[in-house]
Amino acid sequence: MHCADALIARIAASSGIPSRKRREEIARELRAHVEDFASSARLEGHGEGEIERMVLASFDHPARFAANFAWVYRRERAMVRLAIFGLGTVATAAAVSAVVFAMQAGAALGFGRAPAEVLASRHTAIEATDILATVAAYVGLLSLENFFQSRRLPKSMAVLVSISVVLACAFALAGERAIFLIFGCANAIFLRSLEEFLVSGKSRLVAATAYFGLFGAFFFAVLPRSSVSLSAWLVSWAIMGVGYHLMTLIGAFIGRELSGRLPQP
Amino acid sequence: MPVEIDRELMKGSISLLLLSLLSRGEMYGYEIFQEAARRSANAFEFKDGTLYPALHLLEKKGLVNAVWRTGDNGRERKYYSLTSSGKKAAREYERQWRYLTGAVKTVLESQ
Repeated sequence: MHCADALIARIAASSGIPSRKRREEIARELRAHVEDFASSARLEGHGEGEIERMVLASFDHPARFAANFAWVYRRERAMVRLAIFGLGTVATAAAVSAVVFAMQAGAALGFGRAPAEVLASRHTAIEATDILATVAAYVGLLSLENFFQSRRLPKSMAVLVSISVVLACAFALAGERAIFLIFGCANAIFLRSLEEFLVSGKSRLVAATAYFGLFGAFFFAVLPRSSVSLSAWLVSWAIMGVGYHLMTLIGAFIGRELSGRLPQP
Repeated sequence: MPVEIDRELMKGSISLLLLSLLSRGEMYGYEIFQEAARRSANAFEFKDGTLYPALHLLEKKGLVNAVWRTGDNGRERKYYSLTSSGKKAAREYERQWRYLTGAVKTVLESQ
């Protein structure tokens, strides 16, 4: 019953169930059903061709069949997606932080300051939080896009903004610093928009560097003056731009690698 | 003449139907499929992939147990049986079902 085997394989594959063992078990159970159905039909005197048609008729909506299984196993799929989001965020944030801090340490040397002086500062802790928030928002945006069939980016952005606002309010109510959440959300939306509207990687790199350079200039103007010169300050922010551009490449790669193993319903 | 039952209408009764069939003893998928058709004089024919996802849902809810074993016919099949919570749920669903159908019947007959 090759036709039924192909149909069953399609149902199991498109059920979106993360566990391969479970998908194989479903296929095995459906094959057993077809075997019993065919045996009964033979006993009733039906011919092989007719039995095949009857079997195919009993699987007349394979997509609906798979969707019913997908609904039953929706929690398992959500857990796997959450794990992918967590792993993707941690791995990308670690890689981006390593690159940004190494480049900033190099730049510090160029400006005649000891790298330890730059890296040990409170600024580094704030920067690490900003990187984590931006990576989480960016990887989150990529994950959210999987949930929509049409107008994926605007819908995902709307959800991300809502989540960020709710989290920021919760942080503010708890008396904690919340600006990094808004900063991360804005960065993720900007960087994802660049990917959508600028085809060339070089243009995206230039745009990201300029965007963070402008951010740096703004903060230099509004924040209390530190001992850092404007040029060193701008270089530090431009490095952040390069780091975030790198994040879009690493984040997309890790996300693709991890979610590529998850069957889509 | 057989009546085509609306999918949404069928959805609400499928758990009760499966729990009720399994309260008579353990069965595998095709047996349930046949028993449902036989006991309802072919009114219930599981189509559109409702039977197996519904069984898996009951298994996940802990209302049925499922084990693979070789049956009397020498074939390996996945046998479903009610757990103690499944037995309790079967009685409770049946009570609710009787109450609901009684109420619906009263409304329909009052028109």
